[in-house]
Amino acid sequence: MPDLSAPSISYLGLAPVLIVLGAACIGVLVEAFVPRHLRWNAQVSLALLGTVGALAAVILVAGRNELTAARAVAVDGAALFIEGTIAALGALSILMFAERALDPAKSAFVASAALPVGSSADRKLATAPYSQTEVFPLASFAIGGMMLFAASNNLLVMFVALEVLSLPLYLICGMARRRRLLSQESAVKYFLLGSFASAFFLYGLALIYGYSGTVDLGEIREVAARSGASDALFVTGLALLIVGLLFKAGIAPFHAWTPDVYQGAPTAVTALMASCTKVAAFGAILRLLYVGFGTSEWTWRPLIYTIAIVSMVVGAILGITQTDVKRMLAYSSIAHAGFLLVGVIALGDAATAGRGLSSTLFYLLTYGLTTVGGFAVVTLVRDGDGEATHLSKWAGLASRSPLTAAVMTLFLLGLAGLPLTSGFTGKFAVFRAAIDDGAWPLVVVALLASAIAAFFYLRLVVLMYFSAPAEDGPTVGVPGLPTTIVLAVTAAATVILGLAPGAVLDLAEQAAVLVG
Amino acid sequence: MSHAAVLAADVVSSGEAGAFWVLGPIALAGAIGMVLSRNAIHSALWLVLTMLSLGGFYFVQQAPFLGAVQIIVYTGAIMILFLFVLMLVGRDYSDSIVETLRGQRVAAILLGIGFAGLVGGLIADATSGVESVGLAESNADGGNVAAIARLLFTDYLLAFELTSALLITAAVGAMILAHIEHESGSRPGQKEQSIARIKGPRPQTLTGPGVFARGNSVAAPALLPDGSVAEDSRATGMKMRQPPAIASGSIDDLDDVTVDSGANRDGVPT
Amino acid sequence: MSNLAAESPTLADFGTDVWWIIVIKVVGIFALLVALTLFAILFERKVVGRMQQRIGPNRVGPRGGLQSLADGLKLAFKEDIMPALADKPIYFLAPVIAAVPAFLAFSVIPIGPIVSIFGERTPLQLTDLPVGVLIVLACSAMGVYGIVLAGWASGSTYPLLGSLRSAAQMISYEIAMGLSIVAVFLYAGTMSTSGIVEAQESGSEVSAFGLNFDGPGWYAVVLPVSFIIYCIAVVGETNRAPFDLPEAESELVGGFHTEYSSLKFALFYLAEYINMVTVSALAATLFLGGWRAPWPISIWDGANSGWWPVLWFIGKVILGLFVFTWLRATLPRMRYDQFMRFGWKVLVPVALLWILVVATMRVLSREYDFNAGDIALYVGIPVLVLVMAVVWLWPDKAPDPTVKEGVPPTTRGAFPTPPLDLVVPPSPPLIKRDAVAAGKRGGGKRA
Repeated sequence: MPDLSAPSISYLGLAPVLIVLGAACIGVLVEAFVPRHLRWNAQVSLALLGTVGALAAVILVAGRNELTAARAVAVDGAALFIEGTIAALGALSILMFAERALDPAKSAFVASAALPVGSSADRKLATAPYSQTEVFPLASFAIGGMMLFAASNNLLVMFVALEVLSLPLYLICGMARRRRLLSQESAVKYFLLGSFASAFFLYGLALIYGYSGTVDLGEIREVAARSGASDALFVTGLALLIVGLLFKAGIAPFHAWTPDVYQGAPTAVTALMASCTKVAAFGAILRLLYVGFGTSEWTWRPLIYTIAIVSMVVGAILGITQTDVKRMLAYSSIAHAGFLLVGVIALGDAATAGRGLSSTLFYLLTYGLTTVGGFAVVTLVRDGDGEATHLSKWAGLASRSPLTAAVMTLFLLGLAGLPLTSGFTGKFAVFRAAIDDGAWPLVVVALLASAIAAFFYLRLVVLMYFSAPAEDGPTVGVPGLPTTIVLAVTAAATVILGLAPGAVLDLAEQAAVLVG
Repeated sequence: MSHAAVLAADVVSSGEAGAFWVLGPIALAGAIGMVLSRNAIHSALWLVLTMLSLGGFYFVQQAPFLGAVQIIVYTGAIMILFLFVLMLVGRDYSDSIVETLRGQRVAAILLGIGFAGLVGGLIADATSGVESVGLAESNADGGNVAAIARLLFTDYLLAFELTSALLITAAVGAMILAHIEHESGSRPGQKEQSIARIKGPRPQTLTGPGVFARGNSVAAPALLPDGSVAEDSRATGMKMRQPPAIASGSIDDLDDVTVDSGANRDGVPT
Repeated sequence: MSNLAAESPTLADFGTDVWWIIVIKVVGIFALLVALTLFAILFERKVVGRMQQRIGPNRVGPRGGLQSLADGLKLAFKEDIMPALADKPIYFLAPVIAAVPAFLAFSVIPIGPIVSIFGERTPLQLTDLPVGVLIVLACSAMGVYGIVLAGWASGSTYPLLGSLRSAAQMISYEIAMGLSIVAVFLYAGTMSTSGIVEAQESGSEVSAFGLNFDGPGWYAVVLPVSFIIYCIAVVGETNRAPFDLPEAESELVGGFHTEYSSLKFALFYLAEYINMVTVSALAATLFLGGWRAPWPISIWDGANSGWWPVLWFIGKVILGLFVFTWLRATLPRMRYDQFMRFGWKVLVPVALLWILVVATMRVLSREYDFNAGDIALYVGIPVLVLVMAVVWLWPDKAPDPTVKEGVPPTTRGAFPTPPLDLVVPPSPPLIKRDAVAAGKRGGGKRA
């Protein structure tokens, strides 16, 4: 038997992921050994330490370009930028998880998820001042999985990371304290459809392995370049892989789960899913398409082209018909996914790759920050049943709480992509890259879709400012420190990245490197 | 053909082809039966059949480790857990067959068949005439088990280690969804009940009726050594017979003498 | 040829037999298993009888020797009942599913070395694979289905409870069992049963106090913790007392087979005893040197060649069966929660820890050229002594003051016991025998 030689692992390059996953593992131990009254604070600090530590580690290792752990993980500019984005957005989401001031029961998470909804024990615990603090380690696991998902240079690692990020999300979706049935329904829907998507991904992985004999993205590219990309195994496998990834990113026509899950899940979890999951999924899509299948571009380009159009149109048009703020934001995320795909298309050939990649990275960051902010405002507007998400409840909110309405307006304008907000800068960068790449029909559709989407964003603004407040309208809660931090950071980012995006754009440009 | 020769062979032997044509239909039948069965347990059992056939495939394709693990893990552990859950759900349970979306079933069947046909056709087309390569190399140097171990600890080290995060999540998730923390002082568990019984005045079980009472009817109360009736042995909700006096009377008397003892509870006809 | 030195088969020796040798082996294993089952039933009843100061069955055949055969015949002629609520196909299949894997598992157990059958040289083992031991595990995993489905298909409460218990129990204890075997794999470097037997041929050399001698090769000695965990786990795995909760008659009537009768019941009975035989045989193979002769006999050169090893092997299996019986006669049934806690919180963690220790030892002995025997001698034995000393000197638990010791109360309301002056009339046969004996001794006394 020949000797084994263990693969060399660059622990520094993997540090961001390892820190978050380590924090999650310690969190599980905390759950087991720390008494209940200390758990909340311990878990919150641990999860924040993990995400912020990961962000610090990203900054520390910035500039490295290597493949580590037997070529399984890429440590390059794009991966680190996306890891940093996920860590930052994850930290903000964790802060939203940690909000104690808004709900009278001190937490948005259920006290005991195992109790049947409506049972006497469940009713007794409805106002209990404790909750399932497992959400923090689970969220950390999900964030760790997302970071690795975007950095994996190997289809197998990508698949395992996909599961690592999905499984905790399925769980925490179903752990809302209020409207538990809705929350559990969303968890089951997400779980069923998510496993289906994972199965597609796995099937595609198997076919690609059958075609190329490897799961390494770089080697797949070489095999594809050598033997041509017209093989049925190759095309089918690639299609199935893309289906799995599109599902995770919530892109039409694989978006059906998005509104239901975004609506049912606790809003903090929705913020995590809408921002971090999307960033991670796009990171993986970029890596898969350009590192693994970069030489066979014309196999997937028409497909992505079409899907980008479908997603933009579906998100924008169906968004108009929504009467629930969370569902509206869900459709907004679908439309934004379409805009992001425009950026993916625009990576183009090697010469202009920097522009398209960097604009997509920048867009991911701005979109994530604005979305987290939007969902943070949603947690503030409450009535007796918890969050008041129906649009009619938001009528005249400006007269009740001018500040809340103003912040929400800022985020909505950012999502709509109006000038002087980060959304405009992001969209401008992506569309310019697309035009440079010759994809101007796509940009035309994107502009039209933006205009349609702007309608429903502005409708909410109009509703808040120019409608008479409802009689039994919701109250606007006074946020505690965590949510205040989230709102301040995201609002500031939306403005600053709109007014002076130069530094961050430069950073994204420097980071626009894909190795493999 | 010796074992070593089997391991080195890269061609499909007639034995392997035979096994394929036997196991293939069984696996397919299992899959179809699983979808068509109304009863959830039957469905699970059909799936077991498919899993077993897959295990068989792995064996004949010279991956004995994979085959054994397939049987131990999938059929032995996972499907048993499935059965476990289905049994708790109850044997008369079956799926609701009311469609919430009209035509959904037909559309699903058509699309499913279409997708299966498309993918199956493409794969069949792509793999026809393909020569199998690499089997001998990958099973060299210590065989199947060693080859898998080597891959796990070199090329796929990270994926292998990462699954631990998945397992921890799954364990935590199972605890969250299934474990209800009992407040102290609520319903006692098996241990507390057992301790209480041993410490209480009566560690033993209640006396069964008919014991030492010269009759084995449930209605005959047990007798204590002094001939009196053991009150604990009276069955609830039943008209008990009066035991005969210890000195006089015979077994025949039992049928005649009945008294109303303990049966005058609410709702019990006397 | 029987005087040749031991010829251990290797993996290359399998798969080369002519067809009639295979038929002979298959029939031989089947016959051996059925015979061992018949033997085990009688053996168990006799041994339990002796342990309970009884004689045990002694009516059928010489000294009751044909009792199990009579039982089997009686079972076959009983009425076959199909409960009205039963799920018929599964109710019918369940006993078959229980019995078939039980037979299958024995196909990879090595019964002896290479012998000569009608001139053909062949190992005394049906087949072997690089993953031989996993086949046994797979078969035991399949056997669970028989029990689980039997309970469910009966359409009755007690069987269902029994089968749920058995599913939980077998999965839990299978984990401990699998983990206990891992250490053996680590030492033997193979999963094939014949390879493991070969690896136990001789132990590493131990030098102690200037003397050099071969340490024991049996893994029961080298890996004692694994052996103990294996022994405990298989008792749970085979549903035997004190872990026979799936068929706890005081709680569940008969457990999973309450509704079964006639030959179907016989199949469950057969499966249970074959499983006992199989796990005993596996214990012999993995831990007790397989078919190799135990120490004093192994001094004789011919002990490990020819057909003699079959004798040693069967002796080891019967030893295993005896332990099963012994446990049943000695120990009360555990409570269900104790049982599960023991499995998950004691056996599994200990097994994991032990694997860690064993793996560390292997690496150390390879990297730093330690001698495993030396380590066992200088580390293992002191640790063992220390553990025993701690157990010995551990203070007894203080008596619970709330528990009243002494004579149980005999007042009214206590458990009915027969009167103290109860005179049991002698049974008619005894009277007859006494009379005959008295008559033989001489009529003078009676007159």
